[in-house]
Amino acid sequence: MPFWRRLTQLFKKKKAPKSPDPPKSPDPEVLLDDELDISERENIERQLKLTGKLKDDLEVLKLMAGPSPDVVITELKAGRSEVPVALCRISALSDQQLVENIKHMLGWGMLEAPIPEKGAAALYEQFRTRLLTSSEVKEVQTSIDIWNALAHGNSAVLFDGVDKALICNTENVPVRSLKEPEGETLIRGPREGFIESLSTNIALLRKRIKTPNLWVEKVTLGHLSRTDVAIVYIKGLAHEELLAEVRQRVHRIEVDAVLESGYIEDLIQDQAYSILPLVIRTERVDRVASSLLEGRVAILTDNTPFALILPITLPMLFQAPDDYYEKVPIGIFFRWLRAGAFLLSILLPGVYVAILTFHDELMPAELLVRIIANRESVPFPVWFEVLMMEMVFELLREAGVRLPRAIGPAISIVGALVLGEAAIRAGLVSPAVVIIVALTAISSFTVPTFSFGIGARLYRFFFILLGSIFGLFGIQFGILSLLILLCSYRSFGYPYFAPLGPLIVSDMKDTLFKAPVWAMTTRPKLEGSREPERTPPGRQPRQVLDKEAKEQKWDLKKKSVKTEGAGAPPKRKGGRKPHESGENQ
Amino acid sequence: MKVEKISNRQLLFILFMIQSTIILSTLPVFTTGNADQNAWIAAIMSTFGMVAIAAYIGGLSLKFPGLTVIEYSSLLLGKYAGAFFSFSFLWVFLHIAATDTRIYADLIGGQFLRETSFTFIITVMVVLSALAVYMGIETIGRAADALFPWFLLFVLLSLGVSLTGFDIQNLQPVLAQGWGPVLSSTASPIGFAAHVIALTMLIPALNKPEKGVTVGMQAMLAAGIILTMAAVLVPGVFGPQHGKYLRYPFFTMLKTVSPTQFFERFDVLSVLAWGFGLFIDVAVYLYCGSIGLSQLMGLRDNRPLIGPMAVIWVIVAVSSYDDIFDVLRLFQPHVLLPYVTTFLYLPFLLLWLVYLVRYFTGTLPAVPAKKGKERS
Repeated sequence: MPFWRRLTQLFKKKKAPKSPDPPKSPDPEVLLDDELDISERENIERQLKLTGKLKDDLEVLKLMAGPSPDVVITELKAGRSEVPVALCRISALSDQQLVENIKHMLGWGMLEAPIPEKGAAALYEQFRTRLLTSSEVKEVQTSIDIWNALAHGNSAVLFDGVDKALICNTENVPVRSLKEPEGETLIRGPREGFIESLSTNIALLRKRIKTPNLWVEKVTLGHLSRTDVAIVYIKGLAHEELLAEVRQRVHRIEVDAVLESGYIEDLIQDQAYSILPLVIRTERVDRVASSLLEGRVAILTDNTPFALILPITLPMLFQAPDDYYEKVPIGIFFRWLRAGAFLLSILLPGVYVAILTFHDELMPAELLVRIIANRESVPFPVWFEVLMMEMVFELLREAGVRLPRAIGPAISIVGALVLGEAAIRAGLVSPAVVIIVALTAISSFTVPTFSFGIGARLYRFFFILLGSIFGLFGIQFGILSLLILLCSYRSFGYPYFAPLGPLIVSDMKDTLFKAPVWAMTTRPKLEGSREPERTPPGRQPRQVLDKEAKEQKWDLKKKSVKTEGAGAPPKRKGGRKPHESGENQ
Repeated sequence: MKVEKISNRQLLFILFMIQSTIILSTLPVFTTGNADQNAWIAAIMSTFGMVAIAAYIGGLSLKFPGLTVIEYSSLLLGKYAGAFFSFSFLWVFLHIAATDTRIYADLIGGQFLRETSFTFIITVMVVLSALAVYMGIETIGRAADALFPWFLLFVLLSLGVSLTGFDIQNLQPVLAQGWGPVLSSTASPIGFAAHVIALTMLIPALNKPEKGVTVGMQAMLAAGIILTMAAVLVPGVFGPQHGKYLRYPFFTMLKTVSPTQFFERFDVLSVLAWGFGLFIDVAVYLYCGSIGLSQLMGLRDNRPLIGPMAVIWVIVAVSSYDDIFDVLRLFQPHVLLPYVTTFLYLPFLLLWLVYLVRYFTGTLPAVPAKKGKERS
């Protein structure tokens, strides 16, 4: 290439790439086509922008919603120049009083107000800034945004000649009153549980954690259901890596509908086929609040009272809120009782089958003779007998859940009397097996997390089979394979079996034991390590008798500081602050 | 390649469980041996030997941080000589795990599942371990964390229960036959300190690898204490002569004592503990073997090797020995120590010598940096 041409090319102005033509808004009449599939309809609806011609825009809304009778459009004339306006809403979801207020402002309010009228746009602006008293107002420019707002109970105001709409908060979605969750009842503790309204559920959390650092990130999931989902956490306490992981997993969700938090659980958990829950679902507000305070994250879903807590560890599934409200020794006792009952519920039938089938020498002779004597008339092998009774129990349990409450007690009678008593009399099962199955059933219901109890019940069948084929060696095999599984699981990147594997001694204060609140000085090591200190050490109650303390009281009184009662921290020798000394008296 | 990490505490538990399982599981040579009532003196002396072996075998890992014995052998000795010695180490991994599994299978098959083939028991344990190896060393470390308290509890309970049949008269007179039998009884435990070779493969996976050798020595010391306790109790319960002719003296001891009226069979506790320990044992050696072989073959991932190696593990465990007495013959001091010395202690001596020569001549090779994505 000659030099001069190179030189000219060097200074040649590069042509700016042609900006693509703005996408044309499709013809709304296409929506009348019955052949359109849902994805095609949604695609068109997304592209429909407000034109500024009220008649056309209302027509689009009508075409989108079809003949739905609950979509109400009220057409009015606003101001002295009688600009055509429309108020759109879904009748059952909006507050009638608030809607009337807006109507009044559009009609009489704009007539009476001393506002200069220079066309529809000015009227719109005056209405938005001066007259509208609604608590929450926003502007939208597409028909689909209007519809999304209507579906949440809001009202939309459209002015002829303005290609924008005002969304006013008139939400009045019917919700039930707060009740204690039936599946997670307590003797002592708050009686409030989550309900099906997301905003109420967030409010319940705010009521307990009043810091502005309780952050809520809202996401809409499901392209048909458009369910609101909230990611809740305490900013600065939850690890940013965890939050990034949660956001990433939630934003990846692409489904048609989210009808319950179980959908989200399935879509974000680490192990799709795990029998054991890898996130906790709970209706208890206090449980979610305490998890947030440990640096965990909660996911709340609209239209369901079940919140998800993540990440979790296996020992959390044994913890009940009562443990923290009761006296420390009682809390510890019940926690151990539950863990023991859980082991019993999965191992007892299998061990019974293994011992009777292979290792009868392990049983004391007297007991063995008694059991064998009772089994004499039973025509089945032990494993079949146990399996049969376990299946009968599962049938009764499932029937008890599904049946109307009025018939429930009848089923209990049938189960307890007819099947238990009659089966023994008929010589189909031995009394020992009935006792084993009953004990197993009672034990399985002591687990405070229902989804965990259900999963554990399935393991019982696995252990019965192993015990019947390989004896105690099989039981050991089962325990070890379960252990491998538990040790390999992660919940959002955090080891599921912590603090038992990996062993975290500092977290034992709230795992095997339940330390008093003043001794819970640190948060869980992995989840709460961003701000490990929960309470400074040395805050246990003590009687102040020494002279120094009396002087301290006098000094403080002179400074007119009210320290009577429990509020005053005791003065420490050496003048160091409690959290600086590091001692735990 | 995914880089997995375990904590030093987990390594301590792993090594302790591996070493204690084999100490307790069988072996008259470990508990009473030729030393008769002086077995406890032999055990104390063996403990020092075991600790020294841990330092000897693990020491080179500190000189080559981040490298396994397979990797630094090639670095020190060259590609082919390194590979030759690496095969020797891989054989040790294979043979240790196979022998331990065989002993366990013989115990279970002989005492509990008399009609079950020991091949089946071996297969089940190896499959279980292979599953754990497939999940990774982090899973094995966590499993060791979870099992260790139970293992220790069962072992201490077993030892405590046997105190009810203990008679101090059985341990007297002290050193009646002189030091000769005592010294010869230390040979087998020192030979079986070869278990500590796992250290050379696990140190690179540690959070604090610089303390890996100390951890290995601590584990050997703790296992030595258990060995000494067993060496006090077995002759103390059975008498010096009877104990050494039993196949499973510790197990038999628990079977004979009956401290309560209702619970009589405390031997189940020891079998459970052995089961837990053996699972960790086989899993760790299978992991070491598969990692070692993958490094030797230049593979990025060890997991494709786990399945085929598990099959080889089962075959070796089944076919290496005709019966349990064949295993016991291997543990005779005049067989075990030369065997382990040939396959392990002498190659390490050579590695140390080459290291020292190259250190003093200034020809030590540089340690290559490793690439990999670390998991939290």
